[in-house]
Amino acid sequence: MDTKKFEKPEYYVNRELSWLKFNERVLSEARDKSLPLFERLKFLSITSSNLDEFFMVRVASLKDQVHAGYEKTDIAGLTPKEQLREISEQTHELVRVQYSTFTRSVMPALEKAGLHLILAHEELTEKQKEFADRYFEDNVYPVLTPMAMDSSRPFPLIRNKTLNIGALISKKDKKKGKEVLEFATVQVPSVLPRVIEIPSGKQGVRTVILLEEIIERNIGKLFLSNDVICAHPYRIMRNADLSIDEDEAEDLLVEIQKQLKKRQWGEVIRLEAEEKMDKRLLKILKTEFDIRNEDIFSIAGPLDLTVLMKVYGLEGFEKYKSGKYVPAPVPQFQTDKNIFEVIREGDVFLHHPYMSFDPVVNFVRQAAKDPGVLAIKQTLYRVSGNSPIIAALAQAAENGKQVTVLVELKARFDEENNIVWAKMLEKAGCHVIYGLVGLKTHSKITLVVRREETGIRRYVHLATGNYNDSTAKLYTDCGIFTCDERYGEDATAVFNMLSGYSEPKRWNRLIVAPIWMKTRFLEMIEREAENARKGIPGHIMAKMNSLCDPVIMQALYYASSCGVKVELVIRGICCLKTGIPGVSENIHVRSIVGDFLEHSRIFYFYNGGIEEFYMGSADWMPRNLDRRVEIVFPVEDEKIKAQIMHVLELELKDNVKAHILQPDGTYEKQDRRGKQPVNSQMEFCREAQELSGKKKKEQKENSRVFIPAEPLEDFQEE
Amino acid sequence: MTVTTFAAIDIGSYEVCMKIFELSRKNGFRELNHVRYRLEIGKGAYSSGRLEQGMVDAICERLKDFRNMMLEFGVTEYRACSTSAFREMVNPVIILEQIYQRTGIRVEILSNAEQHFLGYKSIAAIESGFKKIIQKGTAILDVGGGGLQVSLFDKDTLVTTQSLKMGSMRIRERLKELEKANTHYDQLIREFIRNDLTAFQRLYLKDRDIKNVILMGDFLTDTIFREEIYDHIITMSEFTARYEDTVYKTDQMLAAEMDIDPEYASLVVPTMVICKSFLDVFQAEAVWVPGVSLLDGIAYDFCEKKKYIKSAHNFENDILVASRNIAKRYSSSKNHIQGTTKLALTIFDSMKKVHGMGARERLLLQIAVQLHDCGKYISMADVAECSYRIIMATEIIGLSTEERQVIASAVRYNTTEFVYYENFDDGAGMDRNRYLLVAKLTAILRLANAMDRSHYQKVEGLRAVLKDRELHLIIDSSRDISLELGLLKDKVEFFEEVFGIHLILRRKRRV
Repeated sequence: MDTKKFEKPEYYVNRELSWLKFNERVLSEARDKSLPLFERLKFLSITSSNLDEFFMVRVASLKDQVHAGYEKTDIAGLTPKEQLREISEQTHELVRVQYSTFTRSVMPALEKAGLHLILAHEELTEKQKEFADRYFEDNVYPVLTPMAMDSSRPFPLIRNKTLNIGALISKKDKKKGKEVLEFATVQVPSVLPRVIEIPSGKQGVRTVILLEEIIERNIGKLFLSNDVICAHPYRIMRNADLSIDEDEAEDLLVEIQKQLKKRQWGEVIRLEAEEKMDKRLLKILKTEFDIRNEDIFSIAGPLDLTVLMKVYGLEGFEKYKSGKYVPAPVPQFQTDKNIFEVIREGDVFLHHPYMSFDPVVNFVRQAAKDPGVLAIKQTLYRVSGNSPIIAALAQAAENGKQVTVLVELKARFDEENNIVWAKMLEKAGCHVIYGLVGLKTHSKITLVVRREETGIRRYVHLATGNYNDSTAKLYTDCGIFTCDERYGEDATAVFNMLSGYSEPKRWNRLIVAPIWMKTRFLEMIEREAENARKGIPGHIMAKMNSLCDPVIMQALYYASSCGVKVELVIRGICCLKTGIPGVSENIHVRSIVGDFLEHSRIFYFYNGGIEEFYMGSADWMPRNLDRRVEIVFPVEDEKIKAQIMHVLELELKDNVKAHILQPDGTYEKQDRRGKQPVNSQMEFCREAQELSGKKKKEQKENSRVFIPAEPLEDFQEE
Repeated sequence: MTVTTFAAIDIGSYEVCMKIFELSRKNGFRELNHVRYRLEIGKGAYSSGRLEQGMVDAICERLKDFRNMMLEFGVTEYRACSTSAFREMVNPVIILEQIYQRTGIRVEILSNAEQHFLGYKSIAAIESGFKKIIQKGTAILDVGGGGLQVSLFDKDTLVTTQSLKMGSMRIRERLKELEKANTHYDQLIREFIRNDLTAFQRLYLKDRDIKNVILMGDFLTDTIFREEIYDHIITMSEFTARYEDTVYKTDQMLAAEMDIDPEYASLVVPTMVICKSFLDVFQAEAVWVPGVSLLDGIAYDFCEKKKYIKSAHNFENDILVASRNIAKRYSSSKNHIQGTTKLALTIFDSMKKVHGMGARERLLLQIAVQLHDCGKYISMADVAECSYRIIMATEIIGLSTEERQVIASAVRYNTTEFVYYENFDDGAGMDRNRYLLVAKLTAILRLANAMDRSHYQKVEGLRAVLKDRELHLIIDSSRDISLELGLLKDKVEFFEEVFGIHLILRRKRRV
């Protein structure tokens, strides 16, 4: 496969800029007036938290590169400096659109819906002022720590991502006999709710105010003997990219704990300040944070729009929210049979959140108390607080099962959380392992070893999403249960490898990164290309979160140029361009941004008619293919293949939530005129409900049949 | 259906590994788990005869993991073996006790002969055609870290098996200093092993026609030929290509290329050169790499003992053939041995209820008979001692050192006064059970041997009948056996003492 000619920078998009395009798509959902108002709040909030993470990780990393004098260009031919310039420009524009959406579209709509949001304390009525001041004295004042800067006190440490109020206070300088201005700051306490409901005084209207406004109004009480000249909120973002040199880290755990403390001290890479902020105050902040103009964002509205999630959470306003979707039961498990018996009858396909995540939790729970089960092994990447899976694992260990849990400490932003779980599991008697040095364990796999009458049988659950019962209600993910021995043997080998033992001599079914996966994908892409050259139809369908691996993209260009039809469903970053003559005319890229976060990874290859289906944890990104332990697994059950085909086809038909990548690099929604609207996520919901409903009905009908009693030994196994 | 799970552990020179098997009569054996961990145990053992504390810690850590993994599959029985690295140590027993105290795992040290015997069993374990293959001239080459074993089969029997101290790690350690001064490392190795190789060729290979070469799958062999062995066959041209592509490369280059540890990669060239040298000698066209390990052999052996499987090839016969060849080398009388064997086995078989010995002990008895005379080759006057020394110095495939010691002692006491346990101190530290075995074997051996004192095989038939506490030996002979009968007296005394039964000798009446 000669892909040299596809290496040109003009064939690719910078990954950061492509990511910003994704955030724009999320923002467009917030602007979509056909959505319930409060859902739009949610999307707006997500754009804000997305952007925070983007700065902390990606921008920070680029800044590091610039500091290190790194000049190498990316796949699209941009140096780190050029990328930062471009990013600054586009993020400022994004933030502008964010706030114009908020003030011009969302705020008036909220007002109409009967929610009055007070953005400036000056707007308060007398009665409300009284309430606010009282609230301040009772609840806020005791937890505030104002800090001032003068000749004897240095500029205080401002914590990453916290909201603060900066103020200028005037003091009499006794020597010079004139007024001087001093800087003071106070953190808006994160322990108190930021959205506070106050009496509205009007029928049918509810009023809320933000905590920082209450503090601002009462700021004089903090600096009693001095005059407060001005007070404005501001917020900073620090470099938070954890780049641990693992070769040097004796104990990974200790190292990460150290890094967590350090994180608060990182370089300031973004300053958000209220638009109306006093120039003198801004100048002090600018000097103290050592930040340049392009990294300062003047905000026309409340800082940190993630607060809108709290507004979403206000009780009432139900008609402005989408009804909560309740995941449907998985038909195969709508039975009295035990979970292992069901899996023995055949592989089971799960599609979350349309179908319930309960079987996955039950799998571990039943294994914990099943007398035949000898061992449970599981990888945990991100777990929910109060995770039922963790509880079940601990229970299993207490019941004398051999429990091995891989806890990935390097899961970004979850390190602190994961260390707590890891320790708890260890206490319960589980063997906790922390993965391999230098490689994040991103694969999602559970193995249950059970002693049965016929010998040892292994049950495996493989998935595209984390073992997290909370996100399983929001992320679209796929999984299978199987007791196929070839998968079982591979699963054991995966855990051997994760415990530091040598990799197996061969894999039966699983494709494992970082060693084997990339070549396998390239082989499969090339196979389609070679088929297409021979005149056999070539067809690739792939769904993932991000596509930015250069080698894979070159292979896809090659395949397209050979005539392979390439259909990609990529939610986030896509560095590939469509419609380049002779290069990517046969590539179609779409992104689905809907109520649920698209998260599953599915790969389809036509393979000359002997179609192959794969699912797994890996995106086509260098980090997934080269620096992580990932698993992609083939699907071999014909029924499940058909189900997956349906998933891909329906998503490719989506014309409500899908944005199509245009040759000019923009994303546009499809023109639906004259077409039946297809919202794939809603369709999957409906189908899942229908399927489980049908099963229920069947059962009801069947229940009229009398079942003869059977001799006891038939039930022995359970 | 009874299903057992069994774990085999191998503490090798550069790897600690374990396989867990499920065994049943119906399905034979099925591998459930295979874990390997690289650990250069041989490095310290070969150079200083000792292990550093860190290495002992590392072994214990792995074994603790293995224990957990055994629990994961409900393993009820295991066998943990160590090989040449432990054999080379000055204090293996102390280290093994430490390991036991820390991990609860009892590790035994396999003798070289046992280790390679298990190696053959592993081939039989995966390959049902093994019996067919060894009908023709077949060489099995097993390159380990410490040593190398080469065995020749012909017409379904083992012709010879030789152990040469040319393991890959041993060669690397020996040539470490020279390597720096020499640009042709491969030639250096070739020269280093040439002497042993020609000796082997002259003494054992002779002009034997070798049709098949089996390369025993150590992990290293699998690493080097990872790409070529999908069909388990490496043609000579494939081998040569790989050889030429490999030998001039530095450890770092090989490490990067094969994605292995540099330390580990440094074993690649010695292994390649050793194999190449032998293949040249055999003039092989292709090599069969079954990809089996000692672990499979351990499991196969366990299966055989528990009667989960029945082997097509008679492995015991290999051991007997090997000991017969030793007897031949020392010019023992073939007829006398055959006659005595018959007598000894008749006695053994007739009194199973009395002596409580089994099939394995029966085999030891046969070997003891085979070798009871070998010392004569050195000195007619001091047969007992010389025989003892010869047996202790000769490897017998399939036998552990302990078993060899039992045989050697039985042979020694065949003609010298028996020493009682309380006074027993030959420096080799024989335990009670083995001592008792020696006593029993000696008693039978003495009796059988005395019946053919004249080496004329005068006793044509022997019938042994056990009645209560009396053993009747009915001797059938047409010749004068007064010499034999006369000499039997003091042997009978000892026999009666050991087994606590009364022996009655009768001559069969001829009509």
